[in-house]
Amino acid sequence: MFDVIVRNGLVVDGSGEAGFRGDVAVKNGLIAAVGTVSGSARREIDAGGRVVAPGFIDPHTHFDVQLLWDGAARPALEHGVTCIVPGNCSLSLAPLKAADRPKVVGMFQQIEEMPPEAFTQAFDWTWEDFAGYRDAIARNLSINVAPLVGHSVIRLWVMGEAAQQRTATPDEVAAMQDVLRECLKAGAVGLSTSFVDLDEHGRPVPSRFADFPELDALSAVLGEFGRMLQCVPEFYDVDITIARIDQLSELSLKHGIPTTFSPVFDNTSTPDNAPRILARVEEQFARGARVWPQMQTRPIDISFSLLRPSLFFARLPRWVRVLRQPLEARLHALNDPETVAKMVEDLGADGGQRMMGGLIVRGGDAAPAQMVGRALGEIAAERGQVPAQALIDISLEHGLDVAFLAADMGHEATDRIGPMLAHPLVHIGASDGGAHIASFSTYGDTGYLFSEFVRKSGGLSLEQAVRKITAETADIWGLEGRGRLTPGHAADIVIFDPDTIDRGEERPVFDMPGEGMRYVRDARGIDTVLVNGEVAYTAGAYTEARSGVVCT
Amino acid sequence: MSEEAVIAGAEIAAGHDGAAELVLRLRYPGGTEGVVVLEAEKGLELMAACGAAHLDELAGHSWRKLLEGACST
Repeated sequence: MFDVIVRNGLVVDGSGEAGFRGDVAVKNGLIAAVGTVSGSARREIDAGGRVVAPGFIDPHTHFDVQLLWDGAARPALEHGVTCIVPGNCSLSLAPLKAADRPKVVGMFQQIEEMPPEAFTQAFDWTWEDFAGYRDAIARNLSINVAPLVGHSVIRLWVMGEAAQQRTATPDEVAAMQDVLRECLKAGAVGLSTSFVDLDEHGRPVPSRFADFPELDALSAVLGEFGRMLQCVPEFYDVDITIARIDQLSELSLKHGIPTTFSPVFDNTSTPDNAPRILARVEEQFARGARVWPQMQTRPIDISFSLLRPSLFFARLPRWVRVLRQPLEARLHALNDPETVAKMVEDLGADGGQRMMGGLIVRGGDAAPAQMVGRALGEIAAERGQVPAQALIDISLEHGLDVAFLAADMGHEATDRIGPMLAHPLVHIGASDGGAHIASFSTYGDTGYLFSEFVRKSGGLSLEQAVRKITAETADIWGLEGRGRLTPGHAADIVIFDPDTIDRGEERPVFDMPGEGMRYVRDARGIDTVLVNGEVAYTAGAYTEARSGVVCT
Repeated sequence: MSEEAVIAGAEIAAGHDGAAELVLRLRYPGGTEGVVVLEAEKGLELMAACGAAHLDELAGHSWRKLLEGACST
């Protein structure tokens, strides 16, 4: 008697081999049989017309805080993601001394845009060390978690205030090595570091004060465990990024560790950047290094409000002049009919329809619900205005705290990005799930992979796409026994409709502690998700299953 | 040909965090070109330093204006 049999699906097992009609049987949380399965089970699931695949693995998330009150990392799980890697970009919630909590909370608020209540109301701080954090999240998991430990917090633990002031002494480096070793023993799957991130005061995070010998010493500890070094390089400069690729490669070769970096994205204004990065990655892999570039699937949008000057208006001199003024003067100008008339006139005869009509009205704390998600051109027409006038008026009516979004402004050329995603050395990831929550949705990249690059463009086959975000990801990260529908592997399974799997429209929700707002995307085409053999999501609803684990 | 790098062109691009960024093409003596990406505030400071009311007016200015822009906060 099996626990579960998923019958009659198109089994795409993560290997990249052609899918086949068959069954998948589960017992004791593991895949028990794949093929034509006889016998019975306590629960049988008909997957006719559906794909049965290993659960997806998201290797770049910031769900560290959310996991303390939401063990499903919603909505990641409903998108078919059964394993997430939090703790990226040098930041994790452990190890962390009680006295240092405010500092790290500030850093998390900067990156994740979590409301303060997320740290004061939603959970009890019961830990300082990594094992304590692991135990705190493990109590309520519906999704699997493979956590990184952050370089910045290790530095803070050892150096205190000096972590954000100077390089470390040899004794401090040795102490950091000991701390990292304890974290890896407690279940961390690697170390994350960043050369880019800032705290809430605009200061570099602690990891940015490390010199190369410190990173080398910490990588030596990673080498003892064969664990991952994750890095955010200076991605805004391709030459520095390539230099970081070389550094990571040296560490990989010297210590026998995998390394990964992100983001890597493709913009038409810098069309050579991503190809140059991939060319360097190829060279370094040819030397034997493991330096995996993470590339996201989703396009990048530009969002802005009139609260802060944005380069979105850089081709409109008068707008730049007005919006760069201090708030009081800016408001005065925006309330001056003569100034506004000239600003609108600058947009030409269509009143900004071409440039602004397609802007989507977003959240912002003051955004009126009846406008959110709608095109500015449509709202302007209802108001009997041209879009430029409507943009100004709507902003003024709500204290300027209304955000507008220009969709698909970067990383949007499917015909260029598809082949890159299919590249054997490109690691699909960099979703940033759980970060930037008040700016844009970081969920649903896996659905977009299938809808845009499998179904629409054919850049990847179904089997390729599945392999990329399952077995390949598990192999890159050394996640034993995951990512494949193979007997003995964990029964992390997603059942989806290959004709409809997608990400839904971006929408604001107020489900963060303190009724904080974030943007999410619902899943499309996902029927059922099993985590370690238990149904965690089905028929559009989460179940009571708490079968997720901290996995290594 | 100029004996030092000049701004050859500028475009707006979408940054990783959803903000608009300024992508500058710098042309070096000898004709090679490189790219510098500035976040919003630095980009606007550069425009001010160059007296540029429009993105297209950045072209032709010395790369040194980048330093002025960066130092003007």
